[in-house]
Amino acid sequence: MTDPHIPTSPVDATTGNPPAVEMLDVWKRFPGVVANAGANLRVRRGSVHAVLGENGAGKSTLMNVLSGVYRADEGEVRIDGTPYHFRTPADALDAGVGMVHQEFRLVPSFTVAENVALGACDRIVRRSAVESAVGALADRFGLATEPDRPVWQLSMGERQRVEILKALWRDARILVLDEPTAVLTPGEADELGAVLRHMADDGRTVVFISHKLHEVTGFCDEATVLRGGRTVAASLFVADTDATELASLMVGASPVVTERPPAREVGEVLLEVQDLRCPDDRGLAALDGLNLTVRSGEIVGIAGVAGNGQREMAQTIAGLRPVESGSVQLCGEDRTDATPRQRFADGLGYIPEDRLGVGLAPRLSVTDNAVLRTYGRHRRGPFLDAAGATDYCHDLVDRFGVRTGPLEEPIAGLSGGNLQRLLVGRELVDGPRVVVAAQPTRGLDVQGVKAIQDLLVSEREAGAAVLLVSEDLDELLTLADRLLVMHAGRIVAEFDPTTAERYVIGEAMIGHSSSASLASSDQGSSR
Amino acid sequence: MTEASLVGLLEATVSFGALLYLAALGEMVAEKAGILNLGVEGMMAMGAVTGFVVALHSGDPWVALLAAVAAGAAVGLLHGFFTVVLGAEQVVSGLSLTILGLGLSAYLGRGSVGRPAGAELVGVDWGPLTDLPWAGPVLFGQSPLVYLAVVAGFATWFVLWRTRLGLAVRAAGESASTADAAGHSVAGIRLAAVAVGGGLAGAAGAYLTLSLTPQWVEGVVAGRGWIAVALVIFGAWRPGRVAIGALLFGLTLALKTRLQTFGVDFSPILLSMLPYLLTVGVLVVISIRSRNRPSPSPAALGIAYRREER
Amino acid sequence: MSRPVLVRREQVLRGGQPLAFGIGLCVALLVGLVLLVGSGHDPLRVYGRMFEASLGDPRAWSVTLNRAVPLGLAGLAVAVAGSMGLWNIGAEGQIMAGAIGAAWIARIGGEWPSPVLITAMLAAAILGGGLLALGPAVARARIGVNEIITTLMLNEVAIRLVQWLVHGRWKDPGSNNFPLAPMLPDNARLPGLFERAHFGVVLAGVVIALFGVAASRTAWGYELRVAGSSGATARYAGISLERKVMTVLILSGGVAGFAGGIELSGAADRITEGLSNGFGFAGIIVAALALMRPSGVAAVALLFGAVQIGGQSIQTMGVSSSVSTILQALILFGAIAAGVLSRYRVEMVAGEATEVTG
Repeated sequence: MTDPHIPTSPVDATTGNPPAVEMLDVWKRFPGVVANAGANLRVRRGSVHAVLGENGAGKSTLMNVLSGVYRADEGEVRIDGTPYHFRTPADALDAGVGMVHQEFRLVPSFTVAENVALGACDRIVRRSAVESAVGALADRFGLATEPDRPVWQLSMGERQRVEILKALWRDARILVLDEPTAVLTPGEADELGAVLRHMADDGRTVVFISHKLHEVTGFCDEATVLRGGRTVAASLFVADTDATELASLMVGASPVVTERPPAREVGEVLLEVQDLRCPDDRGLAALDGLNLTVRSGEIVGIAGVAGNGQREMAQTIAGLRPVESGSVQLCGEDRTDATPRQRFADGLGYIPEDRLGVGLAPRLSVTDNAVLRTYGRHRRGPFLDAAGATDYCHDLVDRFGVRTGPLEEPIAGLSGGNLQRLLVGRELVDGPRVVVAAQPTRGLDVQGVKAIQDLLVSEREAGAAVLLVSEDLDELLTLADRLLVMHAGRIVAEFDPTTAERYVIGEAMIGHSSSASLASSDQGSSR
Repeated sequence: MTEASLVGLLEATVSFGALLYLAALGEMVAEKAGILNLGVEGMMAMGAVTGFVVALHSGDPWVALLAAVAAGAAVGLLHGFFTVVLGAEQVVSGLSLTILGLGLSAYLGRGSVGRPAGAELVGVDWGPLTDLPWAGPVLFGQSPLVYLAVVAGFATWFVLWRTRLGLAVRAAGESASTADAAGHSVAGIRLAAVAVGGGLAGAAGAYLTLSLTPQWVEGVVAGRGWIAVALVIFGAWRPGRVAIGALLFGLTLALKTRLQTFGVDFSPILLSMLPYLLTVGVLVVISIRSRNRPSPSPAALGIAYRREER
Repeated sequence: MSRPVLVRREQVLRGGQPLAFGIGLCVALLVGLVLLVGSGHDPLRVYGRMFEASLGDPRAWSVTLNRAVPLGLAGLAVAVAGSMGLWNIGAEGQIMAGAIGAAWIARIGGEWPSPVLITAMLAAAILGGGLLALGPAVARARIGVNEIITTLMLNEVAIRLVQWLVHGRWKDPGSNNFPLAPMLPDNARLPGLFERAHFGVVLAGVVIALFGVAASRTAWGYELRVAGSSGATARYAGISLERKVMTVLILSGGVAGFAGGIELSGAADRITEGLSNGFGFAGIIVAALALMRPSGVAAVALLFGAVQIGGQSIQTMGVSSSVSTILQALILFGAIAAGVLSRYRVEMVAGEATEVTG
């Protein structure tokens, strides 16, 4: 492993050119979070350079600093050896740095050419001329596109090509792509790889953010690994390393907050999902024959790369997303078509991924949010028993240690940790039989994480069946009794968290199921 | 039905159509940039009174027209200030603008009621063309503002769909954050669009008092501002279709006083409901059709944009 | 180079809306002062007269209260929809539709006992207003048609419907061929309360209070709040958005229709095309100033009633009644500005600040 503080110099030994990108000791703090804590990056001109790291490792922040979206608190950015202080993305573009964000900045009703021309064009726009110019640019880099098509008709892959075209149109010499393959099908991802290669061969530089190892080994020249906002490995030659080394660099060994709860007898099956299929918001298959079971007294962890159906799985079990086929059984009864309210009455507690906006209504008071699931109980005829609701809320807040202002004030002022305590408390206060928790600790501080984890463990002790979806592998390894790995809308592997090795889990997460312990374990465990 | 009455009908159709078109174009420009302005009625009233009063004092109809445009733009900018700079609710601000415009115009015009016009915008002399049968009176005997409306229509189309500025304006109305990211000033674009919209509404108002019926009475706009709002939707935010709609709606206005002369036994009042019902119908069709494609309505219409809150 | 930008305050300023409202009122009075001086009047005398005529004695109060009735009910109609994030811009037309319903009952029920007739008239008014809102409600709930435009368009349709009726079928044979509907029979008139005030003041007060209670104290009102705060949260809590949108818009129309029925039965002699008199549009301003809360609606409606009545009274002093129209709009604009400044502060920043956080 390379010493992070003295990065190996990638200066092209044969030409002696300075690096295309140099970022030195970059710090970026947000309220309560240090996103970059002295990160370094050096990118050789004409290379495809991967920036790797887990969620929260600081990749996106670092790239946003590079492209002028954020200003670094400390540190230096050099482009081709010249130091710059970008104040806006336009400044960065002027210096030749163009960024393709995860969320596309495109006008759906505009044509491809119009979207490209929006960034820069003559005062008078001659349509055909712009279209042919955009077409020519696209052809030059092998970016298949139709300049006169409106963007709303395009697939995600095509839209991404338009974003890349926008950067090239502004003559970006350094192209930064933030997790570009997250929205692509595998075929599209391969095509993108070829395009990026082509651009590098053309003398441009590509910085590619990813956490998919096979893409890095597939078409990147060098890789920099970030963890906890720092560079843990700088400019490794991909040819000299392998996926296993990269994975262990990414994951590292972070301090364990919660003790592993003692093993416990499991009981009957309380949640059973059979052959579940459903489309995502774009109409592509999100769940593709999902099978799993969770028994009383166990926590089943779901690991996987973001966007492999975890979100849709939680939503279908909670009744918030219609299924195409398959079934969801709660406590032995088929509840595939039950409403969210019925499922709650059946004993399903659901902690959604989006706290504000789904789990909690931001403009409503603490009390109003506390009774969101149970307001029917506080009815007296058509009236809501306000005193009863307030008492209920008081109990909830006390029991789950939610620190709030007056209960009749909107919850928008609460901290993330207290919001989550309120939400989790509301879902757990009745002693549910099944708990589905999606990313319950994401974005929380250390105490918040510990509090939520303890609550989940105590549910398990009380005999609930807990399904825990998390992007934090450490959390899953600590809490889960069984660990399932999800890939492409189905369970591809099952591990025993006490014995499983991280890199093996990582391989399973990227779909290399051959190395996983049980390729079809989901079938086995659900029968 | 005589030829003369038919010519009269067509002449009035073009005349009313141009009046509606000027105001609707203005509203369209503002909406294309993302600002819904329900203050058209008020802006037209301000244009109408300013035009008339300035004509009284200056005696020059063109100076009066310019003043009316400026007054419309100024009131429009007030809406811009509240919705763009302060981020206020566009519906509320626009309706208040209508009320303010109606009140302010009545106040400013209180001394001018019943006075003869100081100046009028008279028909353009097209030479022998004016003497052509049919086309002469219908197309070449009109107020200069009719031709101005035609020019404004083409200019709006050209600017919005054929220039860099237009691209930015439309982007601001479709996706303000995209326009912002591309380096365009969303606030600047929107303010300018609302001002242009107000100016065109002001011109439409001046048309009323300098050309159509050269006198000032309170309430002279008489709901035509609402027709202009309807027209933008009826024309699906496209200058050409809005023009067709303006002629159609202009025809209903022209027919209103002429149905009986033509011996048609249909209530002119029911006829005058038609533009509004047609607009509702078009809006329903648009909504059904845009289930699997973008609506012709600007996507960011009515949504305030603050960079830090995207 | 530096320029001003609005920065969100960590904490909203205390006293918020009443303060904003007061500032709006001051701004309006100041501008009005300029206008009055400009037209050669003594502003203090004019304002004094406005106050006397609207709030100076019981008789003045009674007139102001009568005026506050349609304003308050229209404001409530807008607020009911607004509490769910919907815009009912059609109160103006729904008032007309309500009046048509009430007038129709008055035509056929001339012989009925007064309480029966009036009850039937008001019921028909609610129905009429609700019926006019039905189309926009269904279109919005089922197809997602923008309710702002549909309700706005139907205003013009409803007003013309009244015109059509009074020009045709409902024309009074004894009106010397003027397009006027016949006078209402006496048993169709709301009983008086005190001075000029009619019983509609009580009815409006009760309806506004009822909605206030419903919004803050019932499960229905709770569901409305949730749906208005976040559609996704409402689904999560098992609330049907489609049904809520539909009932709320129809109810909103019904309340506006009720206003029309009361205005006809309490304040008007007969149905005319001027009956709605801008109340529907003023109601939007009333609701906006009241932040869509029923309790606030009553207070703001009373103040707007006073401004309108005061504005009428100064015509005898040779002051244009338009001054009061201008005042109403300016109160709102002043309050909007003050409201924004209670949530944001103005800061000068150097150059182009484009840093985004979060």
